[in-house]
Amino acid sequence: MDAGERALFAKGVQDATAGSTGADLDAALAALGWADALELDEHAAVADLFEAQGRAGATSGALDVVLVRALGEQAGAVVLPPLGRTTAPGHLQDGTVTVQGLGTAATGGDGPVHVACATDDGVVLATVDGLERRVIGGLDPALGLVEISGTAPGVTTGPVPWDDVVAAGQRAIAHELVGAAAAMLDLAREHALERIQFGVPIASFQAVRHRLADSLVDVESARGALDAAWEAGSPLDAAVAKAIAGRSGRLVARHAQQVLAGIGFTLDHPLHRYVRRVRVLDGLLGDARTLTRELGEQLLHERGLPAILPL
Amino acid sequence: MELDELRPALDAWLDEHADELAPDEAGLATLDEQIAHLSQVKRLAFDAGWMRWGWPERVGGLGGPALLRAYLGEALTARGFVEPGMYSMTEVLAPTMIDFASPELAAEMVPRLLRGDETWCQGFSEPSTGSNLAALGCRAVATHEGWLVNGQKVWTSFAQFAQRCVLLVRTGTPESAHRGITALFVDMDSPGITVRPLEAMHGVPEFSEVFFDDVLVPVDRMLGDEGRGWAVAMDLLPYERSTALWHRGALLHRRLDQVLAAAEPGAVTPSEVGEAFQHLYAFRARSLATQRRLHAGGELGPETSIDKILIATAEQAVFDLAADGLADTVALGDDPTAARWRSEFLYSRAATIYGGSSEIQRNIVARRLLDLGPDR
Repeated sequence: MDAGERALFAKGVQDATAGSTGADLDAALAALGWADALELDEHAAVADLFEAQGRAGATSGALDVVLVRALGEQAGAVVLPPLGRTTAPGHLQDGTVTVQGLGTAATGGDGPVHVACATDDGVVLATVDGLERRVIGGLDPALGLVEISGTAPGVTTGPVPWDDVVAAGQRAIAHELVGAAAAMLDLAREHALERIQFGVPIASFQAVRHRLADSLVDVESARGALDAAWEAGSPLDAAVAKAIAGRSGRLVARHAQQVLAGIGFTLDHPLHRYVRRVRVLDGLLGDARTLTRELGEQLLHERGLPAILPL
Repeated sequence: MELDELRPALDAWLDEHADELAPDEAGLATLDEQIAHLSQVKRLAFDAGWMRWGWPERVGGLGGPALLRAYLGEALTARGFVEPGMYSMTEVLAPTMIDFASPELAAEMVPRLLRGDETWCQGFSEPSTGSNLAALGCRAVATHEGWLVNGQKVWTSFAQFAQRCVLLVRTGTPESAHRGITALFVDMDSPGITVRPLEAMHGVPEFSEVFFDDVLVPVDRMLGDEGRGWAVAMDLLPYERSTALWHRGALLHRRLDQVLAAAEPGAVTPSEVGEAFQHLYAFRARSLATQRRLHAGGELGPETSIDKILIATAEQAVFDLAADGLADTVALGDDPTAARWRSEFLYSRAATIYGGSSEIQRNIVARRLLDLGPDR
């Protein structure tokens, strides 16, 4: 996409995510040709949609589309690892698949799903039907996550590059986290400028300004890491970007909650939706704490650093 | 010359000349030794052409994009051939000269800095104006012979070694704030200049007090016009937060790598290691984007305050890890290598203070990037 096309596309997905969610958003994305854009320019398609989706607090089946594509499949829904994990959610033995994982709202209906399965020879993909599904209420009911579990016969389609699949999903969710964090910062910023105490906007107090400044630093640092992770393309870079985005989402939530104070604690105010969303998104495909610890374990094991991000 | 062409050739040259380029001392050398060694490295790199790439031909350069300079400093730092704080003074002061000195003065002076013939310093901070730069009070009065300077600067890095100083002085009324500041290029051997190095916590007399007592500076040594010194400072600071920070990031990468190689098993937790690496990654990603923007001809402004906040965070994370991972070395070691780790750990405490404190950077982010209006 050239710059003009990109801007038009970004505007299209922003309008779609602002005006619809769930199945309606999927329809709007289909009308926009988002799946075609994904083939044309994966970075642009994922970055623009997921950041807009995070900003709007919308949901869609786009994560499944990204994962299906990374798996080399044509269509369907994909089982995610359990909260906080990156390991394959299935286990294959003697033609039987045991599954413990999560699905997006798109996996909620009946029918077969794609399950990455750990085997002695690496990760293989199985298509599995007849698993149990439980719609999750939990902290963020609007996200529509589904718990998927059970044991069923599976049709194996061969080995899959699971690390790359995880990386593709991590980049997408990281963009969504950045969008949600940016939305919280916007809410807190507007409130700080409008809320008058002691005769002045609370935005004039340094204690408030520095929380907002720190929030922007966090958002921009996650954005920068994500851009770098796209360019580098490796699973390590994607995991680093996801961890930074997850931590940044949590920190911005903390600052925004404090700046928005009383009004931000009510259900009338939209903040709570983002606070819930970042917490759960952080847990999908590896939360910041787990990814950070695993990264540290790897570096300690290697007793050195990889070269990163060349000029 | 483009980066893809320069990179392998430079890498090969650095490997080939490693013996001449590496410092003799494995650990902490004296500042005199460090300055002498830096001059030697710059001279070798200048004569081989590397130090000239990325600088305009009118100041002794060979042209080409500034990315070439970013890579040279990174490559020298990554191999331990230079200390980036000292090396990168060139990145801060030469662009200012190119932008504001008369063409004749820039052509005469900048090659001396690039070739390592001279050390320059930057006279900005004063005892009563640290963060509030616009309130500086060091005065210059116009006379028939030139500007007559009286006053004091402090935290002037490497002043005791410097032949020249980019100096901010007040030429307007005391109330003129940023409108009454003028930038001068001062010979440090001028009569009336006294340099007194400060004993600093990290054991290196990097910073000095500089006293000006009726120091005469010729009129042709003005950088920019009278009363336009604030523009010089504003032009210089983004350079301080772009290529110079990129070089410093290379040092942090090298040091974190060394900590991991040398840390006692169990001395640091995986989470601490992972987080330090992520801070470094976030800085480098940000600084890389800044380099790309410079390369594309973009102007740098207040958004580089984010780069500065990120590197200060990364620097303290890396050296916190060093102080824990190499606790015996840092706390108890008395050999030169231990002295260097200790010195750098202590120096990292200042990363959130020098070059505009983290609080000032957050004020800039709040005012200029978030548009939060005036503060109280």
